[in-house]
Amino acid sequence: MLRKLFIVLVAVHAALVLSSQNTAQPEVTISGTVIDAESGETLIGATILVPDKPSLGTSTNEYGYYAFQVPSGNDSLTLEFSYVGYQPRLFRILPKENTTLNVELSTGVQLAEVVVQANSFRESLRSTEMSVEELSTKEVKVIPAFLGETDILKTIQLKPGIPSGSEGTTGLFVRGGGSDQNLIVLDEAVVYNANHLFGFFSTFNTDAVKDLKLYKGGFPAQYGGRLSSVIDVRMKEGNNRSFHGTGGIGLITSRLTVEGPIQKEKSSFIVSGRRTYVDLFTRQINKANEDKEDYSPIPDYYFYDLNTKVNFTLGEKDRLFLSGYFGQDVFGFEGDFFDFSFNWGNNTGTVRWNHVFNNNLFHNLTFTYSDYEYNIETKVTGFSFQVGSNVRDANLKSDFYYSLNSNNTLRFGGNVTYHWFGVGRLKAGSDDGSVSFSGGDDFNAASLGLYFSDEMEIGDSWKVNAGIRFSGFLNEGKFSGGVEPRLAAVYSVSPDFSLKGSYARMYQYLHLVSTSGIALPTDIWYPTTETIKPENSDQVALGWEYLLGSRFLFTQEFYYKRFGKQVDFVDGARLFANNELENEFAIGRGYGYGMEFGIEKQEGKLTGWLGYTLAMVRRTGFKPVDETRTFSGDENPYFPRYDRRHDLSLVLMYKLSKRLTISGTAVYGSGDRTWLPVGRFAFQDVYGADFEPIVPVFGERNAFRLPYFFRADAGLVYRFFPKWGESDLTLSIFNLTNRRNAFFLYLEPQYEESIDPETEPLAIPTGIKAKQVSLFPILGSLTWNFKF
Amino acid sequence: MKYLPYLIASLFVAAIAACGSLEKEIDLNLPEYQPQYVVECYLEPGQPFSLLLTRSAPYFEPFPSDLEGFVENLLVDSAEVLIHYQGKTHQLTNGLVLNPFTKKIFNYYNEELVPADYDNDFELDITTPDGKHITATTRILPVVPIDSVVVEFDEEKDSLARVLTYLTDDPNTKDYYRRMLHHGSLDSIPDQDFTTFDDFVDDNKIVFGTGFDFEEGDTVFTTIFHIERAYFDFLESLQYAIDANGNPFGQPSSIISNLEGDANALGIFTGLSYDRKMIRIKK
Repeated sequence: MLRKLFIVLVAVHAALVLSSQNTAQPEVTISGTVIDAESGETLIGATILVPDKPSLGTSTNEYGYYAFQVPSGNDSLTLEFSYVGYQPRLFRILPKENTTLNVELSTGVQLAEVVVQANSFRESLRSTEMSVEELSTKEVKVIPAFLGETDILKTIQLKPGIPSGSEGTTGLFVRGGGSDQNLIVLDEAVVYNANHLFGFFSTFNTDAVKDLKLYKGGFPAQYGGRLSSVIDVRMKEGNNRSFHGTGGIGLITSRLTVEGPIQKEKSSFIVSGRRTYVDLFTRQINKANEDKEDYSPIPDYYFYDLNTKVNFTLGEKDRLFLSGYFGQDVFGFEGDFFDFSFNWGNNTGTVRWNHVFNNNLFHNLTFTYSDYEYNIETKVTGFSFQVGSNVRDANLKSDFYYSLNSNNTLRFGGNVTYHWFGVGRLKAGSDDGSVSFSGGDDFNAASLGLYFSDEMEIGDSWKVNAGIRFSGFLNEGKFSGGVEPRLAAVYSVSPDFSLKGSYARMYQYLHLVSTSGIALPTDIWYPTTETIKPENSDQVALGWEYLLGSRFLFTQEFYYKRFGKQVDFVDGARLFANNELENEFAIGRGYGYGMEFGIEKQEGKLTGWLGYTLAMVRRTGFKPVDETRTFSGDENPYFPRYDRRHDLSLVLMYKLSKRLTISGTAVYGSGDRTWLPVGRFAFQDVYGADFEPIVPVFGERNAFRLPYFFRADAGLVYRFFPKWGESDLTLSIFNLTNRRNAFFLYLEPQYEESIDPETEPLAIPTGIKAKQVSLFPILGSLTWNFKF
Repeated sequence: MKYLPYLIASLFVAAIAACGSLEKEIDLNLPEYQPQYVVECYLEPGQPFSLLLTRSAPYFEPFPSDLEGFVENLLVDSAEVLIHYQGKTHQLTNGLVLNPFTKKIFNYYNEELVPADYDNDFELDITTPDGKHITATTRILPVVPIDSVVVEFDEEKDSLARVLTYLTDDPNTKDYYRRMLHHGSLDSIPDQDFTTFDDFVDDNKIVFGTGFDFEEGDTVFTTIFHIERAYFDFLESLQYAIDANGNPFGQPSSIISNLEGDANALGIFTGLSYDRKMIRIKK
């Protein structure tokens, strides 16, 4: 390991020396912030180019800040600021001294849309970043949504290389990784379970979110902690110019967002809420039927999200942000003899301070707090039962962004996180205390990350981002750590064609305890211990990008990924309330490789993308931690459930007029894998027990593939412009072709009509039928959205 | 856009019409499966040595039309079945035996009674008709007695009662239990049948409860089996395997048997220790 670290450090240093040789000419720094003229929101990823000198330019970072060097001189330079969906602006400067240039961009008539798009794509071509997908909520709101509930996590699944899990759910399986290998952060705070209602909805309210960026590979050194992706979600900051509200009434939820200045152009706030309301109707139904003796009340269920944020401009050099997210799912039932409640949810909080030391050095200091918890409580007369788990983090992070010269931009920093884990807390017993049960494990652990990276311009054609991250985890007095080299490079063959490559090693110190493949609230995170080592991966990706006619960006990437210390679970794993949870783990390794191809068009009346992924993933060499336990298939290779060979998605949005936009999506994918029985036996059992005529004997793990998946959705947004603001009706048609996609298969014994196997102890089947269950037929939904 | 309301109405009608069956029958080609021997042998003190040796079948193999045919199709004859205990070998002879009381069948039987020995191992040794071997070892666990059975009537609906079964667990040993509860008759399908263990017991008291499901005059049988870890693992794996079929959240499991030998058999060889109380519900 140390040898590898040494090699990387030498390589970084050599590149630095090489690149700095080209910086003999005096330079000045141009820096500033790019914001939306109407709302004052910072724009992430806005492009700054020097048309006369194509090698110069940059884009705004995740805080809307930019800084880059130009050669000093007496000849004026023209800078072009652009951002997709906004009118580009040109500024002429005299590069004699360091200059701060804060720029406002407006939406409105976009005469130069082709220019904007080309600038955005050209910046992508120049960038060392690869394997990155981005989405703005503007796109998400036009794309047809399941039951009209726009969802940024589901929309990102339409991008190449990010297959979803089960239909309609928010799980992401990036480049052969599991759904637990995605680092999801909201305003830099980790969201441990980003799902509502078993993953059918994500925790991200589109009204409160600004944008999402997903890294599938080529991870920058500032990110770590998960093997397969980083999903960076940024909340809106709030309009600091004027008060506004947005909201909507849909089939499932209602939403309301209010934002405005606290002190005009200096500070702002945003409060955004969303809640389902099915329970309001079910309560009325229960009330109307409460006198009926045989009536079984419908359980209460709802979820809500509340996003809040305030930000203050404390001067020219300082900005302070405070944001919070509070979300909860609430399920409850009150019966004659027992009460049952099941609540789960996330809370996150972020305090962020941006400070500009000088034109070259930008600093971000962040404190975040994350909390995920579930609790199940049952009460029957005289007895109660409670079980729950939680994970809590407090994290302090410092990031520096230093524009050293026109050839070197440095990023460095670190973070320290303290974790509290409460795993499988159980308390049960009688009210009088005569009988009591309790269980569960508590862990306190700490993790850290230190990183350094240098983005280097080498000549006119090469750009290299070399970085290194050191990560570590301390639990039960034992320290685990690792060095994570990161390297990304781009070679510009021409302004319209680039070749890219990247390598990244990642470590993951937290493991999700789940076997279902579907996001369950009871899935809980388990820390690295002396027995359960950190998961790790190495990924290499190679690709190219080609800009055709300034309108279409073609991308293709090939990747290979190796996984180490992967976690699975033994047969019959008892993951719920278990004091010896580690004995349920099996540890192995895996590998995945594939190809992703995409075409994208961002501007114009017709926008959208086409993505295709060809992928393979296998897991192998799994051994139970407890050698007396069984892992089916022993150490033989097997396909995980989410092994999806082909995945094709097409997304089109067409703006027919100022009022009317139509959209459509189509997704084709190989079916998920499933594990089916191949044999059966009859089990007589002991006296008093139920005779079991069919006990399944399962065959090879995940050897079957479900039928292929296809779904086409259509959407229509019709806008109104009343005096008080703007509104629209959004129509979504989910599963336009009414195809019955397989959710799961099962095998059903058949009995003679006269026999009820539920009551007949010796019922013998006459045969077995294979059945396929689907979740969703064609579904239409209508949502009314407003903005004032 | 004047057609928009009609379009929306049509879509909702179409959606409702489409909400028909979300389930359909499909053809499934399962790979070939080589049948395995299946052993069930419970050593109950005071009862004769008896064993059921059957075979498994490919999942979609047709079922015989009646119970008799079903049983005959399963039974494996002509095996040599030996149980070694304390230097003595008990041979179980091949022949179908029906226990008229329990209505359980066995195809290997020895009239000698299983001793109430909780300190020594019993060893099973089967030579199958094709010359393969199945071996296993077990020890009978002592009975964990039921301390008391309490009947409680609900305060509001005092016509309904629940049954609480108390027992004392040994805090010095890790114990596994199988709990059964029958309403009316032991021949009926049990109201409760599950396995558990004592990891979470704070002191030494365990209670198994029921809902307020019983009326005055009802008969309830409450049974606590004290089972070994291997039997617990076997029963749990059986349940996981059964539950995984038809449950998208379920995790399939192989059958975790305590049998060894080159026959690759499925099943269980274990002692059977239990305490059972019969209660007649009354105020």
